[in-house]
Amino acid sequence: MRLSGIFSGVDRHFLDDLSRAGVVGLHMVSGIIAGTAIGYGLDVWLDSFPWCSGIFMFLGIVSGFRNVYVDAKKLTANRQKDETERK
Amino acid sequence: MEHPVILSALFGVPEEYKHVFYTWLAMAVLFAVGFLLRGRMKLVPTGLQNFMEVLIGGLEDFTVATVGEEKGRKIFPLLCGIFLFILAQNLLGLLPFCDAPTANVNTNAAMALFVFIYYNYVGLRSWGPKYIKHFMGPMPVLAPLMLPIEVVSHCARPLSLTLRLFGNIRGEEIVLLLFFSMAPLASTLPSYFLFLLAKCLQAFIFYMLTMIYLQGAMEHAH
Repeated sequence: MRLSGIFSGVDRHFLDDLSRAGVVGLHMVSGIIAGTAIGYGLDVWLDSFPWCSGIFMFLGIVSGFRNVYVDAKKLTANRQKDETERK
Repeated sequence: MEHPVILSALFGVPEEYKHVFYTWLAMAVLFAVGFLLRGRMKLVPTGLQNFMEVLIGGLEDFTVATVGEEKGRKIFPLLCGIFLFILAQNLLGLLPFCDAPTANVNTNAAMALFVFIYYNYVGLRSWGPKYIKHFMGPMPVLAPLMLPIEVVSHCARPLSLTLRLFGNIRGEEIVLLLFFSMAPLASTLPSYFLFLLAKCLQAFIFYMLTMIYLQGAMEHAH
């Protein structure tokens, strides 16, 4: 009576994919927001207005793309694992 | 738009602190279930015990299958607690006279920050100073560039955890209120089924992401 009822009918990788795919879009945006927030905080602290905001916003955009890249790589790995398991 | 009749107002809780009241209510429900079941555990489970065993046993098997035997069992109590707690909080939103505490951004931020601190603590404890390798990227040459990028992307994690849960639950609450003011019962009843699914899914995604972050902190860097 363990797993059987709820989860085993569903593929384990499917649940992993589901939760990753559900946040891919948000990951890209939240990277930018977090980067900008850190940069603005540093600007207020160091009184250097446009510099830290600009640099960290750029870093945020890069990290947003990196998050999506990592998610996509994991999704591909899961798909390949599924295919090898099926064979 | 305000909730028409609400339990926290009967207890004299001010409007701005009602999410705290409902968080405690969710905890009370979970504690009550725990104490109720602890007293009369049976070898052959029936009713509530059966349900909780299937839920927790299923989650444990799933965690162990994903993270690995030793590590999975170690982090499972936290993960299961998070899942049940968020599920109870989300489902409170569907009860009449109640409101989901997760529809307030503060509740979610508290949980997401806890997860953020905890997975970094677990990483530091399992790797010591070598934990910084998780932030350096695959190539040592690119490390100075990757370090700030990784720090920003780690800081983005609690943000995305918070906003996703908040946006979903808050949106559902608003839709329910709007539907209820337009056509009570006829329009809210069908949407209950959809929202029941969505709320379970949101709790599961929070659990799943916490597991992914903990796993990332515990395994080898790249």
